[in-house]
Amino acid sequence: MNRVDFKNIIHAEELKAKNAPTKHKIFVCCGAGCISSGADNVMKKLQEEIKNRGLEDIEVVPTGCMGPCNQGPLVKFKPGNTVYQKIDCVNIGEVVKSQIVDKKPLEDLLLFSEHREKPFVNAEEDPYFKKQLKIALKDCGDVHPEKIEDYLLHDGYKALDKALFEMSPEDVISEIKQSRLRGRGGAGYPTGLKWETVYRHVNDQKYIICNGDEGDPGAFMDRSVLEGNPHRILEGMTIAGYAVGANKGYAYIRGEYPLAIKRFEAAIKAAKKLGVLGKNILGTNFSFDVEVRIGAGAFVCGEETALIASIEGRRGTPSPRPPYPAESGLWGKPTLINNVETMASIAPIILKGGEWYSEIGTAKSAGTKVFALAGKINYAGLIEVPMGTTLREIVFDIGGGIQGDGQFKAAQTGGPSGGCIPAEHLDVKMDYEELMKLGSIMGSGGLIVMDENSDMVDVARFFMEFCVDESCGKCVPCRVGTKMMHDLLQKVCENKATQLDIERLEELAVYVKECSLCGLGGSAPNPLLSTLRHFRHEYDTRVQPVRKSENLVHQ
Amino acid sequence: MMALVTIYIDGKKIIAGSEKTILEVARENNIEILTMCHLKGLTDVGACRLCMVELEGSPKLFSACTTKVADNMIVTTNSERIRRYQRITTELFFAERNHICAVCVSNGACELQDLGYKVGLDAIRYPHLFPQCEVDTSHPLYVMDQNRCISCSRCIRACAEVEGAYNWDMMNRGYQIRVISDFNTLWGESTTCTSCGKCVQACPTGALWAKSIVQGQQDKHPEFITDLMERRKMNL
Repeated sequence: MNRVDFKNIIHAEELKAKNAPTKHKIFVCCGAGCISSGADNVMKKLQEEIKNRGLEDIEVVPTGCMGPCNQGPLVKFKPGNTVYQKIDCVNIGEVVKSQIVDKKPLEDLLLFSEHREKPFVNAEEDPYFKKQLKIALKDCGDVHPEKIEDYLLHDGYKALDKALFEMSPEDVISEIKQSRLRGRGGAGYPTGLKWETVYRHVNDQKYIICNGDEGDPGAFMDRSVLEGNPHRILEGMTIAGYAVGANKGYAYIRGEYPLAIKRFEAAIKAAKKLGVLGKNILGTNFSFDVEVRIGAGAFVCGEETALIASIEGRRGTPSPRPPYPAESGLWGKPTLINNVETMASIAPIILKGGEWYSEIGTAKSAGTKVFALAGKINYAGLIEVPMGTTLREIVFDIGGGIQGDGQFKAAQTGGPSGGCIPAEHLDVKMDYEELMKLGSIMGSGGLIVMDENSDMVDVARFFMEFCVDESCGKCVPCRVGTKMMHDLLQKVCENKATQLDIERLEELAVYVKECSLCGLGGSAPNPLLSTLRHFRHEYDTRVQPVRKSENLVHQ
Repeated sequence: MMALVTIYIDGKKIIAGSEKTILEVARENNIEILTMCHLKGLTDVGACRLCMVELEGSPKLFSACTTKVADNMIVTTNSERIRRYQRITTELFFAERNHICAVCVSNGACELQDLGYKVGLDAIRYPHLFPQCEVDTSHPLYVMDQNRCISCSRCIRACAEVEGAYNWDMMNRGYQIRVISDFNTLWGESTTCTSCGKCVQACPTGALWAKSIVQGQQDKHPEFITDLMERRKMNL
């Protein structure tokens, strides 16, 4: 297929959409959260309902995540963007009746009806959505993840078309550099710079890897994009391949995400059939192929060198850098590794320009960031906000505050590599630098909210336990150091620790941080260090006096 | 032609080839950097973290065995911080498994024991984990004692890179990792082991030893691996 054919297809789809007799479209959220609360059955029941009422011209579309996951299953009616929450097989009938037949929204079941005096009929007007800016997640919740035609209607593959025909690889890279996009996997390395480094390494074989081994407890951003809009990732990877000169890409998706794997593989098939992936894409000389690699459940495989080892079929353990993957990565070839969310931001940047993207966010962190809200928050789920949005806005304006009118105590960002932000820093502007200053990190975007009943020592102990389990065991500081820290934290939790134990904890934390081989060990002490910094009193109040004998041995 | 660079290690000015690691250059110049997982001739993996050094201009520490020298690099190998960390690493080694020198075959000829003396270890401040470990005596010539293993992977690399047999590997994660023979079968039933004994020579502790040996008698020669690799290079 060449470019003219491609444009014709898009044109035909657009025409079809315009002239379609369908007035109403019903979107059923089939993200992981909604499926687990019964969206599959709602979907079936809804189709039956529509058939029984003779409303066959209404199209029912299963979509990816819409956002407010714990209000699910969610059903959205278009036009009008009316969203209903907590739908089940019983109340779906009433909803269809009042929304479609009686043309009167059913207020009791509208999104956030229990928290709003007057819930919004058009959900877009609700502060939950108004405060957000969706770029990476934009079409999740609006497109059928397994229908490429749906994606085409949402500017799908237009960025690829633009890159291939109107831009040189250098242009693409400079556009990404101009956007000031930084790696969304957590470390925040400038994406454009990474692309340029891979581009500069001359080699006839280069690789693109999309890192979908999302493993932080409480984080599900990558999962939702992969499940809800897989073509966006595919398009990003293909553009990256064109820019750096790679002809092969791997999407490394963790095995715990079967739905993401299924939908991504379906997307690869559909894209190849359409001619936007595979040999001679859109009739050009550029060929690019993508394969899925499934992670086997190791958190450390999210670390790039371990991930590469895993793709190569070896034991997933990190290796020292340099050499960086950009120079010597997969099978020793220059390799570009980007996180799913980074890849999801590529197409909009190419389409709307780097300048547009760079104007969103803060001086040092441009664009938007997806956060997965979890914990004691009213509206747990996925949100996307401009960088620099304050934690207060995220927790209270968007997240709806603390469950059961509790007190906000802390927010944990960055999972086992991050730290806790206490209430006095609620006005912190969420970007890479500001979070770093507070001893936490942006991380991949997990945000766990805790109320006054949370025990911060136990929080530190929990994340340390996670690191003990997930340490690959290669280097000593991480392998044994995390275990020792965990055991000491356990001692504090059981009110058996002495001041000496706290000192040992502090010494070990800095040692593990500075001496570990990879980022897992290097950041494993962060939850401990940040709780020691912001919640020291919780440790001190549990400390027991030092026994004389112990003092003699250990001084 | 290899490029030459000037580096400073602990204030000593040294001219060295740019393809070398900090560790190689230091050792050639009689500057001691402690190591455990390094064995000259085998690929360096940077696992034990004993050889961490400071580089001026960076707050981070670098493993000397995997970091190449660069022009005007200023290396510190013996700061108070480095020595403190070496001691912690050594303590963690001892606390991790069951290292009881008095009843060990390698008593008196053990790299871990030597390390303890070098860092001045007088007490271990962390609780011993005392794991339940297996001793595999199924091989006709050798014994694998997990109690003494420090997971340095020298045996694995010697087997793969020198002998080419790939008998050894690692299983599990974290502090539960274990060196395994084949797919975690008894060593005596291995279909890949050639019984060459290179792993025994490469092992720094009493984890691998020859059956004929009694307590305190296992004298090891890891330099034999290094020499073998040197001779192999010459033949090429």
